[in-house]
Amino acid sequence: MARRELSHQTPIIAVRHFTAGYDGHILLRELSFDIYPGEVFVILGGSGCGKSTLLKHMIGLYRPLSGSIHIEGKDVVTAQGQQRLDILARIGVMYQQGALFGSMTLLENVRLPLEEHTDLPDDAIARIALMKLQLVGLGPAANKLPDEISGGMRKRAAIARAMALDPPILFLDEPSAGLDPITSAELDQLILSLATHLKITFVVVTHELPSIETIADRVIMLDKRTQGIIAEGLPKELKDHSDNPWVRQFFNRQVEAAGQPAS
Amino acid sequence: MRSLVTARDVLEGHPSPDGALVLSLTGALDASSTGQAWRNALHLIDVHQPRRLIVDASQLTYCDGAGVALLLELRRHQQSRRLTYEIQALDPAYQALLELYGRWEAQRPEPLAPAESPIEQIGRATAGIWHDVVVLIAFVGQLFLALTRAIRQPGLVRWRDAFVTAELAGVNAVPIISLLGFLLGLIMAFQSAIPMRQFGADIYVANLIGLSMLRELGPLLTAIILAGRSGSAFAAELGTMKVSEEIDALTTMGLEPVGFLVVPRVIAAVAMTPLLSVFAGLLGLIGGAVVMRSLGFPLVTYIIQVKSAVTVGDLLGGLGKSFVFGIVVAAIGCLRGLQTKSGAGAVGESTTRAVVSGLVLITIVDGIFAVIFYCLGI
Repeated sequence: MARRELSHQTPIIAVRHFTAGYDGHILLRELSFDIYPGEVFVILGGSGCGKSTLLKHMIGLYRPLSGSIHIEGKDVVTAQGQQRLDILARIGVMYQQGALFGSMTLLENVRLPLEEHTDLPDDAIARIALMKLQLVGLGPAANKLPDEISGGMRKRAAIARAMALDPPILFLDEPSAGLDPITSAELDQLILSLATHLKITFVVVTHELPSIETIADRVIMLDKRTQGIIAEGLPKELKDHSDNPWVRQFFNRQVEAAGQPAS
Repeated sequence: MRSLVTARDVLEGHPSPDGALVLSLTGALDASSTGQAWRNALHLIDVHQPRRLIVDASQLTYCDGAGVALLLELRRHQQSRRLTYEIQALDPAYQALLELYGRWEAQRPEPLAPAESPIEQIGRATAGIWHDVVVLIAFVGQLFLALTRAIRQPGLVRWRDAFVTAELAGVNAVPIISLLGFLLGLIMAFQSAIPMRQFGADIYVANLIGLSMLRELGPLLTAIILAGRSGSAFAAELGTMKVSEEIDALTTMGLEPVGFLVVPRVIAAVAMTPLLSVFAGLLGLIGGAVVMRSLGFPLVTYIIQVKSAVTVGDLLGGLGKSFVFGIVVAAIGCLRGLQTKSGAGAVGESTTRAVVSGLVLITIVDGIFAVIFYCLGI
């Protein structure tokens, strides 16, 4: 798929001097980066480097030790009350396991945010929820329960639910984890298609190399040892031309050499 | 309720001279404004019944999925009645969005499975009960074998788990058992003393408390608390292990889940329940003593009266019942845990089933003991 035209004028998400940790232990230190509208931005790194922690701070679930995170100019860290709800209306999140509500059908899962946060009439909610499921290829499975569908379908349904209120930003936590290569590739194509057609900005946490190479417009790579960003740029450039041998190893799936940081 | 979106009015309608209804969209058609627009549009169409519907999108500045849903709904409404529908001056970006979503419009959800008839429901429930009985019998067999193996080869039992469970299910339950036993004895003595005093028979309150607490209510109270406190905990613990495939992992490692997980819990419960039952009985007697003292009876009179009323057979009968209650509650709690299905609500369901099944079985076992005691003349 051809790369999209991206505007790098004003960042849609700006992270500045972000430091996070827990129990007196610092996990990420002094991170600063920007994400621009319409791009598929991938946060990658080895296991335990703080990828998912960073994502959970970006969506306001945790408070950082210091620093700021702005989404469309509004500070996620300090936002309270209606201001916080205004920010939440602009983002959708797909969790690692989908986090669909097991007692509800897929259609009911997608209907939920529309029922709770809009004054749309019932037939409008039904139509919009079905449209979202159709968009991710799950129209026929709308009346199924999450337990009755495969892991890949659950993740697609979770994306449909995250898109229910048409947020301009979607956060995806490990979308390819636990999926077979074909299903994973289908999910990558869906992400690209949504980014292209709906101009959605994606922030994706993953360490699946084929996915990164397929979907990423730009990546940052976190490192457990330095507790920060050790590489930023296009995946192909990092793979072939990074100065950091650990980054090249990661992209080329090489076993770490002596003296290199552990993942 | 605070909302993520706030409603705005973006749709106006007016009939044109040629009989068409023109719906003008102004501003942003998104999740916040589409609800009002949806109701207005359908109301105007209902009132005017237009043969030709024109949507003027020249002033539309933004349109998302909700807006597209409205445009598709208006199109479907007109087309299903073979009437004319037209969108004017729609931004190409939103036109592309309309085509994207419209492409899948024909894809319908598979219908839900038809609801079961009452006869099917009765049949399914009956088969379920039968299946449950079969599973229970099989489990009793497995547990019997595992316990026999544990007696023959005590070294195979995970004693550390058994001691930890004994502490959690037994030692930690002493305060609640003591409190309830004391209150039960106190209340029962007080309630029975009032009518019995009218007949000058209030000294026999001691007989009543002694017999009922040591032979009947002490073991029953202990078993009920064990079912609510520990049976449910066993079901939740094993249920979570089942959901997270830990039980499967044990099986594939060649370890028998019944021997590995159930036997230590049953041993702990069997060891602790009679002790807790003694505690409940003793505290019940103390509760009764408090009331008897307040009625003016010396403590020694109360003790002598209890000793005369309660035989060693009563005490052993109560302990025997506690022993069986312990097996039943621990075993059914573990069985319900092992039967846990998948899904978020499965562990909760297993916990509920463990408590309900535990209470039902306690009642049945208590009834069986009553018949046995009657036949033996105890």
